[in-house]
Amino acid sequence: MPVLDTHRTVTAVWKLESAKIIAALMRMVHDVGLAEELAQDALVAALEQWPSTGVPDNPGAWLTTTAKRRAVDHIRRSQRLTHKQEQLAHGLEQQQAPENDDVLRLMLISCHPVLATEARTAMTLRLLGGLTAEEIARAFLVTATVITQRIAEAKRTLAEEGVPFDLPDGTELAERLSSVLEVIYLIFNEGYSATSGDDLMRPGLCLEALRLGRLLAELAPQEAEAHALVALMEIQASRSAARIGPSGEPVQLHEQNRGRWDQLLIRRGFAAMLRAREAGGPPGPYLLQAAIAVCHAQAPTAEDTDWAQIAALYGALVQLVPTPIVRLNRAVAHGMAYGPQDGLELVDSLTTDPTLRDYHLLPSVRGDLLARLGRHQEARLEFHRAASLTRNAAERAFLHRRADEIEVTSPSGPTLGRAARDFLNRDDLEAATIHSYGQTLRRLCLALGDELPLASLTADQVERVFATTWGETAARTWNRHRSTVRSFCAWASLSDLADGLDRRAETRTRAPVPAPAQLDALWSRPDLPLRERTLWRLLHESTAGVKAVLSLNIEDLDLDERRARTGRTWVTWRSETARLLPQLLAGRTRGPVFVSDRRPGPARTPAPADLCPDTGRRRLSYERAEYLFKETTKLLDPAANGYTLSRLKSLP
Amino acid sequence: MRYLMTTRPSDTAPDEKLYAEMGKFIEELTAAGVLLATGGLEPGGVLVRSAGDEITVTDGPFTEAKEAVAGFALVEVRSKEEAIEMARRFRRIVGDGESVVQQVFGP
Repeated sequence: MPVLDTHRTVTAVWKLESAKIIAALMRMVHDVGLAEELAQDALVAALEQWPSTGVPDNPGAWLTTTAKRRAVDHIRRSQRLTHKQEQLAHGLEQQQAPENDDVLRLMLISCHPVLATEARTAMTLRLLGGLTAEEIARAFLVTATVITQRIAEAKRTLAEEGVPFDLPDGTELAERLSSVLEVIYLIFNEGYSATSGDDLMRPGLCLEALRLGRLLAELAPQEAEAHALVALMEIQASRSAARIGPSGEPVQLHEQNRGRWDQLLIRRGFAAMLRAREAGGPPGPYLLQAAIAVCHAQAPTAEDTDWAQIAALYGALVQLVPTPIVRLNRAVAHGMAYGPQDGLELVDSLTTDPTLRDYHLLPSVRGDLLARLGRHQEARLEFHRAASLTRNAAERAFLHRRADEIEVTSPSGPTLGRAARDFLNRDDLEAATIHSYGQTLRRLCLALGDELPLASLTADQVERVFATTWGETAARTWNRHRSTVRSFCAWASLSDLADGLDRRAETRTRAPVPAPAQLDALWSRPDLPLRERTLWRLLHESTAGVKAVLSLNIEDLDLDERRARTGRTWVTWRSETARLLPQLLAGRTRGPVFVSDRRPGPARTPAPADLCPDTGRRRLSYERAEYLFKETTKLLDPAANGYTLSRLKSLP
Repeated sequence: MRYLMTTRPSDTAPDEKLYAEMGKFIEELTAAGVLLATGGLEPGGVLVRSAGDEITVTDGPFTEAKEAVAGFALVEVRSKEEAIEMARRFRRIVGDGESVVQQVFGP
């Protein structure tokens, strides 16, 4: 039996070399997408040739040479070459620019701020990690098609935005590097604490992030934060084996068997930490987090942990990154350093933060602190609530188990969850009412816990949930939820828990209207895209409904008479629209008047009537059109919210 | 996954060039996080053998020198093929001889 499967050898070598190859080609052809395609050609050539010729002695060099040759061929083909250019192409092949800069440039471009976060991670894993779309898709539990589209779109965006290839310097370099660090840590965390699915960890992703981090630290050795991120990841990864119990459940840090921590990785982490300190500069967020990880790694037992030091480090971190999650971790550290009451006070200051509303670790931490304070009943409730909020199955089971381990004298009387279900299950309610009531009660149960004894529910608790959840909503919404609570109380014979909630006045405040002068300012802007300009002018001049205008087809238009048929009525316009429309149509003769910029992805198939039969583009959607108008008019609106399209028709 | 590569002793004596190339190779792999630990081993060593309740300790050298291990490298890679590729690069540097690549389980 042959030991070496050629195909697998090719892909292994590819994974090791692809970043360098693509990076070098990018310098030659100045286009990420093209560089990757040419490099892929070399991979295909290897897959075709190596099975018969055997694996070459130096497979990496073979791939590199073949890919560069393709790039030179491409450059020759795409230009009508003079002798001089011929020499240039030859020179490119020979040129040995610093390889490190090429790879760093590729990293910065893959994580460029013009790309969405998801696109950055996909591009980084693809171009720097050499992963296939299938592998990336498996790691993020999506389909390969989604990843392929994401990458294709990212390449297109980079090309359209004309992202420069030069290495930035100074502050720009620091900013761009921080985006790379963020992407790498995101990949690591997706592997380390899988946010969804059944497994708690996807180790492949952690390893990939570690590789990328080490690579970056090598490419940008002056960057303290790069070394610090590596230190943080190495030390966190050292606990991989210890943090998962025999049946896949999470084991908390203080309960882990420290003998199972990987000392090799810890040592690597410490070494990276030293390099970070040598690089100097004020401590950044990754350095502080790594320092916290070092504190844990240095404690021989959980009891030996220097919690006061950790609490101090979190105090510094909270200054740099004042996110609710950092504040929550700080509360945990305080609870350990200065007792559960201290921790609980900090946690309770977070319970009204809307961003943590559905974050399962908040009730989980609260439950922990409450249990240590001997407030078992409340602790149990919090663990159940945490379980209902997490999306990870292993974690959910663990949280339920923690709740069940707490001995409580079983509360008499029904629970909130039970009562809510009974309330909604009555026969005398209409479907719409059940739906509306259900929204209110589900949110109450999520926020307060299904297991909360109904008798202990207080108006204060209800008031807090209302403030966190619906504090910012329109008066009507607020009042609707309020009246649900009142009906529920009446039905359950409770005292009125909506007592603390004022009914809000429902003045039908119309959305703000742009002033005519602002409209003039809008029309005079030179940078308005033609489609938007035409649409907005048409809406303004015709005073027709937005839906009616967006549903217009070119066949409906009567350009000479400046009108179009919609249903039984006419949409009419004046001179500005009449001037713009022919430009917008640009020779198109059928299909939607207003079409989107892009063709729909294969996953979306609009109705044929909403597709331009010639370009394949779909009809511009109301949402998109509205979004664009709001974005553009944000600058005009004193409240900075932007205006809605329907406001255009009510202007003189 | 982790692999341990062990190298059998060879007759060729290392020269300056080999040292330089090997130093560069080790540095590169360490920075990339591929190489976790590496080292050379003294010839012979001490043999500790247990049989029943009895433990005997014998000093080397031993006769089966060809089967002995002269050096090792512990690498972290994504696949067996990557480990083999590392061994391939190593062998290209050191010249004639043999190395064994085995997956490490645990910790």
